[in-house]
Parts: sequence; structure tokens; C-alpha cells
Amino acid sequence: MGDLLTYLPPLARGAWMTIILCLIVGVAGSILGFVIGLARASSIGVLRWVSAIYTNFLRGIPLLIILLFTYFALPLLIPGADFSQLMSGAIGLTLFVSAYIAEVVRGAIESVPRGQYEAAEALGLGFFNKFRYVIVPQAMRVMVPPWVGILLAMIKDSSLVSVIGFVDLTQAGKIVGTTTMQPLWAFVVVGAVYFFICYPLGRFGRWYEKRLSISLARPPDTLQILMPAVTGLLEHEPPELPESPESPRDAGGTT
Amino acid sequence: MTWYLGDLIPYLPLILQGLWVSIYVSVASFLAGSALGLVAYRAKAGGSPALRRMSSAYIEVIRNVPLLVVLYLIYFGLGQFGINLDPLWSTLIALTINNGAYVAEILRAGFDSVPGGLREAAQALGMSSRQTFRYVVFVPGIRKVFPALTNQFILLFLFSSVASVIALPELTNALMTVNSNTLRTFEVFTVGALLYYAVSSVLAVGSRVGEKRLFRW
Repeated sequence: MGDLLTYLPPLARGAWMTIILCLIVGVAGSILGFVIGLARASSIGVLRWVSAIYTNFLRGIPLLIILLFTYFALPLLIPGADFSQLMSGAIGLTLFVSAYIAEVVRGAIESVPRGQYEAAEALGLGFFNKFRYVIVPQAMRVMVPPWVGILLAMIKDSSLVSVIGFVDLTQAGKIVGTTTMQPLWAFVVVGAVYFFICYPLGRFGRWYEKRLSISLARPPDTLQILMPAVTGLLEHEPPELPESPESPRDAGGTT
Repeated sequence: MTWYLGDLIPYLPLILQGLWVSIYVSVASFLAGSALGLVAYRAKAGGSPALRRMSSAYIEVIRNVPLLVVLYLIYFGLGQFGINLDPLWSTLIALTINNGAYVAEILRAGFDSVPGGLREAAQALGMSSRQTFRYVVFVPGIRKVFPALTNQFILLFLFSSVASVIALPELTNALMTVNSNTLRTFEVFTVGALLYYAVSSVLAVGSRVGEKRLFRW
């Protein structure tokens, strides 16, 4: 175990590379997934069709195959391209993550009641404004918990980029394990680092989900609205009505 | 670069053999993992406090650590104690442990969805706690989470590709071998991706059909 302490710097560097990779993929995958999810829910047939093939195919093959493809085969497709391992890994992981995020985005957008679309159209909002001001803000709330779940899975899945030789946390653990001849401790440390990155994120997702389900389930509280009026009457002061929530969905919350 | 599949033909048996190993490994570890998941769920839901804590620690740790790290831990790490497992056993153990934690969570979602009133009704009818679990909680709970379970199986099948890194001759490993022998990189991985896609699509369709046939009451 003592041996391992001298090898902490390489492990820390590996962890740092994992974090950088996850930040890149988290942002790129979210943006790409969001766009594809919108295409998936759009009213234009071709867009829907192409995005459906994209998400279904990428969700039906292993991440490892995607990574091997972006590492070995993609540079052949683009003449003169010289991808680093970080680049190949980031591209592969982004493709993979975006397919899952697109499905979440589509589900969330479809969860917005039909009436909201009709209301937006009745207000004369165009396609862009309808999504920008009416649909997406409502879908966003439903989207967050599964989105956090996907990012969490992404952090764990990023360990697979070690297979194409990128020195991330897992690969650093493997190298340290081989040099110290103590692979068990090396991988226990690596596993613990992953755990301490992922666990808080998972807790946040569950906390948010619980908060969300409370705020979605609770109907506008009549008592809450009436009580100040009643107490106000008793105190002979003008009753102060609480600000009416923008929609029943915004009522409640436990912050 | 030209598209040519001819070089792959001699390797077809190797690829199909790999596909068979992938399926075999996923089915075996899904069955074992589901049993483990059921035990973990029972321990978490009704065991003594110590059992409960152990079970939730197992579930949380496995769900927050990459499968690859667990696989390395078993394949390379246990060697430190002189326990040298071959790739097949390492993979089976790693996938089983991994799957058990996820199945336990899926089962919890399913079984907890059975209303408490139903359990009480079963007890009022004089059913033992074992009978209550078997007829009132287990079957309706499984019915509810059947799609989640089959989805978990598909994910397990896809993630069994990870075993290629410890040289288990499954599909991905076979593809890597063919790739280094033929250098038909683009063709090899396209064919491989299509094979995986075909199997997971068949499984997805089978899951939907199975759900309709199995739970028809």
C-alpha cells in the first residue's frame, strides 16, 4: 500500500484526464443530443426519420465498438486526419451519449401537454419561439433527472477510452498496478475515485427527482392561498394574497 | 479506400463463434445476476440492519464504479492473492456482480409499486409471508418491470463487449483479431456494429412480444 502513495501523482493525472474528457463530452454530447432530440420531436418527416435512425442505431451497439470505430476507422474516412486518442475517445463518447440524451429530450418534449402547443400557436408564436418560450422551459424540468443519470453513466463509461490507449483514470490505474505489482490496491483506489465522483452526482439526481415529483404532484394548495386571507381578517388588516403561481406545476417545491 | 467484404469471409466462423460467446456469457450472467439481485433486494427490504446496510453498500458501490474497473479488479487484482481466474470466469463474475446491483434496483421499483393494502389483504386471507411474496408481490412486480429487466439484459449484452480487453474471445475480441489480420478496419467494425445492432433489435422486439404473451391476464 505504501508503494502506491508514490504513484499517486500519475493516478491524479489520470483522474484529471477523465474529468477533462467528461467535461468535453458532457457539453458536446448534451448539445448534440439536445439538437437531435428536437429533430426527433419535430414535425418535419425527414428530420424525424434520420434522427430516429441515429438514436436507435447508436443505442443498439456497444460503446466499445463505437470507440474502436472512431479510433481505427474514422481517420481512414477523413484523409489527412490525425486524431489524438483524446479526440477519438471524445468523438466516440459524444456520439454515444448524444443518442441517449436525444431520447430523454424527445420524451420530455412529448410529455408537455398538447394544449401547450396549441396555446402557443394560438398566441401566434412561430416554430422557434414556440419551443424557446413555451415547450422547452416546461420540458427542461422533466429532463433533468434522467439527464443527470446519463452524465453519471457517461463518467463510468468513459473508462472504456482506456482501451484505445488514452491514459485516463482507469488506464493510469492499470499502469500503476503493473509497475507496483499491486493491481488490487491500484484498482481499489481507482474504483474509489470513480465512486466519489459519481455518488454525489447520483444523490443530486435523486434529490432533484424527489423535489420535482413533489412539485408536480401537489395541486395548488387551497389552504395555503386562503389562510393569509383568514388570518388577515382576524387581525383586521387587509388580507395579503400570496403571488399566484405561474402554473400549477410551479406550486410547491421544497427548497 | 475501397469497400471490400471478401477478406472477411474466411473469418466468418470466428466472428460467429465470438457472437455465440457474447450471447452465452450475457445469458449466464444475467440469470446469475438476477438471482443475486433478488437476494440483494430481499436483504435490503427485509433483512436485519446489518444485512440491509451490506446490501445497500453493495448496490451503491457497484452502481457508481465502472464495469471495466470491476473486471480489472477481478482479473488482475485477485492475482495478487494467488487467485488467477481465466478470462471467462472473470467476465462471468464481473458481469454477475454488476448486473445484480442493477437488477436489485429494478426489482425494488417493481415490488415497491405493489400497494401495501394488497399485502395486508393477502395476510387477511391467511397467506403466509412466503406465499404473499410469491403471489401478491413477485408476479405483479415482475410484470411491471419486465421491460426494464429486458432492457437491462440488452445493456448487459452490449456491455459484455468490455470483456474483449481481458482477451475473452467474444464478438468484439474476434473483430479486433480479424481487424489486425485483414486490416479491413472499416468493413470489420461496420459488420460488427451491424451484428450487435441486429441482436439487440431482435432482443428488443422479443421483449415486446414476450411481454404481451407472458402477462396476458
